[in-house]
Amino acid sequence: MHSPNAVLRRLKQLLYFAVAVTAFVVPEAHDLHAQTPKPTEYEVEAAYLSNFGRFVEWPARAGAATEPFNVCVLGADPFGPLLDAALKGETIAGAPMAAKRISKPEEAASCRIVFVGSVKDSQLNGILQSLRVSNALTVSDMSGFSRRGGMIQFVLDGNRVRFEINLAAVQRTGLTVSSELLKVAQAVRRAP
Amino acid sequence: MLFRTRFIPSFLLFAVAASAQQQPDAASQGRLKGLSLEELGNVEVTTVSKGPVKLSQTSAAIYVITQEDIRRSGVRSLPEALRLAPGVDVAQIDSVKWAVGIRGFQSRLSRDILVLIDGRSVYSPLFHGVYWEVQDTLLEDIDRIEVIRGPGGVIWGANAVNGVINIITKSAKDTKGTLVSAGGGNADQGFLDFRQGGGNNDGFSYRVYGKGVDDGPEYHSDHQQFDDWRRAQGGFRTDWDVNTNNSLTIQGDIYNGVSGENVKVSTLTPPYLANVEANAQLSGGNILTRWQRKLKDGSDIQLTGYYDRVNRLQANQAEYRDTFDVDFVHHLMLRRQNFIWGLGARLSPAKVPTIIPTYFFTPDERTDQVYTAYAQDDFALVPDKFTITAGAKVLHSSFTGFDVEPGVRALWTPTARSSFWAAVTRAVRTPSDTEDTLNNTSVVSTAPLVYSVTQGDGRFTSETLIGYEAGYRSLISKTVSLDIAAFFNSYDHLQSLEPAGAPFSEDLAGTTALFYPYINANGIKGTTAGTEITPSWRPVSWWRLQGSFSLLHMDLRTIPSSQDATTVFTDENSSPHHQARIQSYFNLGRNLDFSLTWRYVGALPYYLVSGYETGDARLAWRPKRHIEFALTGQNLVQPRHFEYGGDPGALVGIRRGILASLTFRK
Repeated sequence: MHSPNAVLRRLKQLLYFAVAVTAFVVPEAHDLHAQTPKPTEYEVEAAYLSNFGRFVEWPARAGAATEPFNVCVLGADPFGPLLDAALKGETIAGAPMAAKRISKPEEAASCRIVFVGSVKDSQLNGILQSLRVSNALTVSDMSGFSRRGGMIQFVLDGNRVRFEINLAAVQRTGLTVSSELLKVAQAVRRAP
Repeated sequence: MLFRTRFIPSFLLFAVAASAQQQPDAASQGRLKGLSLEELGNVEVTTVSKGPVKLSQTSAAIYVITQEDIRRSGVRSLPEALRLAPGVDVAQIDSVKWAVGIRGFQSRLSRDILVLIDGRSVYSPLFHGVYWEVQDTLLEDIDRIEVIRGPGGVIWGANAVNGVINIITKSAKDTKGTLVSAGGGNADQGFLDFRQGGGNNDGFSYRVYGKGVDDGPEYHSDHQQFDDWRRAQGGFRTDWDVNTNNSLTIQGDIYNGVSGENVKVSTLTPPYLANVEANAQLSGGNILTRWQRKLKDGSDIQLTGYYDRVNRLQANQAEYRDTFDVDFVHHLMLRRQNFIWGLGARLSPAKVPTIIPTYFFTPDERTDQVYTAYAQDDFALVPDKFTITAGAKVLHSSFTGFDVEPGVRALWTPTARSSFWAAVTRAVRTPSDTEDTLNNTSVVSTAPLVYSVTQGDGRFTSETLIGYEAGYRSLISKTVSLDIAAFFNSYDHLQSLEPAGAPFSEDLAGTTALFYPYINANGIKGTTAGTEITPSWRPVSWWRLQGSFSLLHMDLRTIPSSQDATTVFTDENSSPHHQARIQSYFNLGRNLDFSLTWRYVGALPYYLVSGYETGDARLAWRPKRHIEFALTGQNLVQPRHFEYGGDPGALVGIRRGILASLTFRK
């Protein structure tokens, strides 16, 4: 049986060795991402967000035609520059798409799509309630989002990103979604 | 707590720690532009969000070994892969055999661990344990291995006493394309792996695979090189998304192998005791089908059925077993609750013909039966903060009648980055044919001639455990995470060997032999306690360190009526009481990986095995996208070392192994 001291000494040696190897290796190590050709789910979710606008009709609103088509992120932002990159150069009915970060549901008035980042479970009902007035399409990857009144929820199916639609919630807001979107959705929650 | 294969996350805490610091790569976004919704739904992603969140919200000591861990550590078999998890005791007995334990009670057949491969139990009711040497699949097709330390009886039922090991293979959706891998070395003398997968656009995918392995003997100081080992295995899996809510999986495997072994054979005629070197003929197969249906509101049902065949012919025993199993699970998502209930039935008729007259089962044909029902509810007392899980499994086995395995768990998540959990659970190990119907006459000494005769008296009952556990998980910073689990296990009715009446003598062709009769009884109780500490650190994006330290203390004793003088010592001294492991993964540029492993395993006084430390290394180079060369060194520190005993003759030394391999993936 080795004494704990001997084990510790060995651990130390190993750590020194690892550090030495590291120092040797630093110039070689770059471009980690080139090794992982698979995108993360956030890249795919950002791509979806740049697409959804084509399959939804918003109720007519004064001045809407001249505004940018804002995709807003409420709460913790999992996308970073990904979302901006996904929206760059895209237009919907002539309106340029842009990403916007907001911290309160009240700021959603100029948003066509609101992605709800991770928020506390207990706050979700309140957030969804406040977002209703903005006529925005609400999207999230929180579990239970569509069940609790959110419109589109991303779900992981194995290692693919799919989405569910709560059609009843969409219709309550006066939005119309195309049948094509419903066809692609993994599940559609209709009014009971 | 959702303890069922598909609910369990596939990523470790360090995966979050690692990804949290990675800046999203905006440049790569371009390739997703212009894809239709349908195409987006088919893009495979590396998940960075779901897994860790759920893992941090699990009220059990669970560790998930990922495909990446398996590949990059260079392991060549399932037992070796289990070394990657904390708190698992893995020792190689010889080239063929392994001894595995969780939180103590390590043994050749892992009597306290339930092992499932894609939901199919591979626990043998004949010898209460797992024949590790015939549990295999293409390691590249494993999605993950979930190792749960601690009792898992509520969901998994009998024999999930010290832990559960869930080996989960990838969906055929994720194994499209060709894989060919071949290599060889001094210990693992040659192997060939092959897989071909494909599918159509209507949600149907398939794969077929084959593998062959030729292992050389380990080191024998007495030159008894008995343990060479050849085997071949093939199989298939199809996954079909029938429509958005229904999916059907059908899979099967078939294997055949010849393993060299050295067994002790006692006879009632001279020479009375012999070590017989012979080849064991091991073959078998299985076919499994699983139907999953998604219901409203995130609920689902799952129906699984399988058939499994085991053929085992050794120099001293044989087993031919068919197993039929059906399992149903219904999982309901309610507002603040996750409710899961299920039913199961297993019928397992077996023939165990007598090969040598001193070792036989009466009767030699028997059908083991187990029926189970369980329910478990996950209730969020304070949403996102405090969850209580309670459940129980009721099982009826043909050995002991009814057993109940209840459990209660609590999870407190003060912040999104840390959680505390605690649990109290009861689990049982049901008796097996060995304790019940085996008659084993074994030579204790040849001059004078003395035998022991051990048999069951039909009164052997289930071994029981009440486990008390607690744990803490934290993402300390973006690069450091920590998982600590501690346990106190209270066992009762553990197996003992009791003298059954006075010794008697018999005349064996002129020689007087003395026979000591024994019965299997439940005369041992006691406690074990310990802790596992699992830190991980990703100092820079291309270097990951994973550690684990496991401590175990065992304190067993015989009950007053027991006269067993040896089993307590055996049980307490055949599992390591200290283990440590450090795993270092480097990405040296885009085409080069390097991994280092160091491990320390404490002594096993019962087998006269001293503590040892050794290490592995693996270097993999991808000169082209589809091609990988790898050089793997195992047990590098010394030319050979001892890990476990059990074979007759000298302790078998596990050799330093060097293996070169070439893999083509497309």
